[in-house]
Amino acid sequence: MDWKVVAANYPLLLKGLLTSLQLTFVAIAFSLPLGCLIAIGRLSHRTWLSRACTAFVNVLRSNPLILILFWFYFLIPLITGQSVNDLTSIIIAFVVFFSVYFAEIVRSGIQSVGNRQIQAGLSTGLTYAQTMRFIVLPQAIRAMMPALITQCIVVFQGTTVVYVIGYSELLHTTSMIAERTVRPVEMYLAVAAIYFVVCYSASLLARRFEKGRA
Amino acid sequence: MPDPIVRVEDVGLRFDKFTALDGVSLSVETGQCIVICGPSGSGKSTLLRCINGLERFQAGEVFVDGVRVRDNTDLPKLRRGIGMVFQHFELYPHMTVLENITLAPIRAKGVPRAQAEKLARDYLERVGIADQADKYPGRLSGGQQQRAAIARALALEPKVMLFDEPTSALDPEMIAEVLYVMRDLARGGMTMLVVTHEMGFAREVADEVIFMDRGRVVERSGVKEFFTAPRADRTKEFLNKILVKF
Repeated sequence: MDWKVVAANYPLLLKGLLTSLQLTFVAIAFSLPLGCLIAIGRLSHRTWLSRACTAFVNVLRSNPLILILFWFYFLIPLITGQSVNDLTSIIIAFVVFFSVYFAEIVRSGIQSVGNRQIQAGLSTGLTYAQTMRFIVLPQAIRAMMPALITQCIVVFQGTTVVYVIGYSELLHTTSMIAERTVRPVEMYLAVAAIYFVVCYSASLLARRFEKGRA
Repeated sequence: MPDPIVRVEDVGLRFDKFTALDGVSLSVETGQCIVICGPSGSGKSTLLRCINGLERFQAGEVFVDGVRVRDNTDLPKLRRGIGMVFQHFELYPHMTVLENITLAPIRAKGVPRAQAEKLARDYLERVGIADQADKYPGRLSGGQQQRAAIARALALEPKVMLFDEPTSALDPEMIAEVLYVMRDLARGGMTMLVVTHEMGFAREVADEVIFMDRGRVVERSGVKEFFTAPRADRTKEFLNKILVKF
């Protein structure tokens, strides 16, 4: 083992990690709000809206992330005849794919608050939207924090699929270095350690939220 | 004679095959306290929820202060005039007692915060828990929680208060403090429609008692008459069951 290769390529790894984190943050920043909308749509009393959102969730959940990425990366440019920037197709694929998972977490969080709280809010003359905003969502968010953080970890790990289209996030950067230096064992162990540190600290955070509720 | 504050006319409500309300009519005049009793599943709670539009009924009409409930396009406005107290309190656990009470006045009625808080403290004083204003509901006893919930409903300054089994979820020693507050309200002239099994409260405070069974009003009479000379056999049977004889 020669760990010097890791130290020598430290700036590149760091850059790769930053790219992965940026992808993760942008994906979450768009897919979480979209997920909230889908969740509210699924819970709606308007049957067509609820059905449409449910169908969307079921279709997306029944497909692997990598396939969704292919769709947006290869097929959309083919269909529309317009070239789409790499990063744009990656982000769109991530947002579409992960939004349904966030939607399911948000939906179960909202349902955990229960109808009686909604009725209490409505009975005081608040509108449905106000009841959601002031009564249901604050409680739901607290209930779903652990699951949300866990899902964010999954998003972070999911960013590795852009490897297949050669986008230089952490894993792809690592593989390039491994190839160039012919030191795959050290490089892949090092990158495993990086993923572990990031994901495990996030899961510790999730656990703290879980304890805070108890 | 003035128009009744609550007028229920021949209301019918079905859930799938179950008939929850079957042609219920009643009226409540301003200042009256009316107790509704009856076995569980008789439609008492459902009836209350039809009055403030939480439940949609298929037949009949409900008017509150002359405003039609069915097809009402501004239910929030209607509900601002109706206070409701629930069996399980339904305080918002993530807000302090004070915030629970000021939420609707501030957000639904547009009362300035300072004024809403003053009002909230006044009502907390009235229900006897002024010292609990800044605590979270989880820190309060059941009786205190229900009194806070009553204060929350009162803070709307409603024309009528609906109580849906307000003491059914309480330990016996806490029932008295809630009933005390309700009695105080009734004596202060509040119009009240109370679903309860507390016959002592009915006897002492109510102007009239309504007995419901299987989605119908079986009997409506003055308190004295209800307890001493009930007309319907079903009422007699019910009273025999729930009134403990010493």
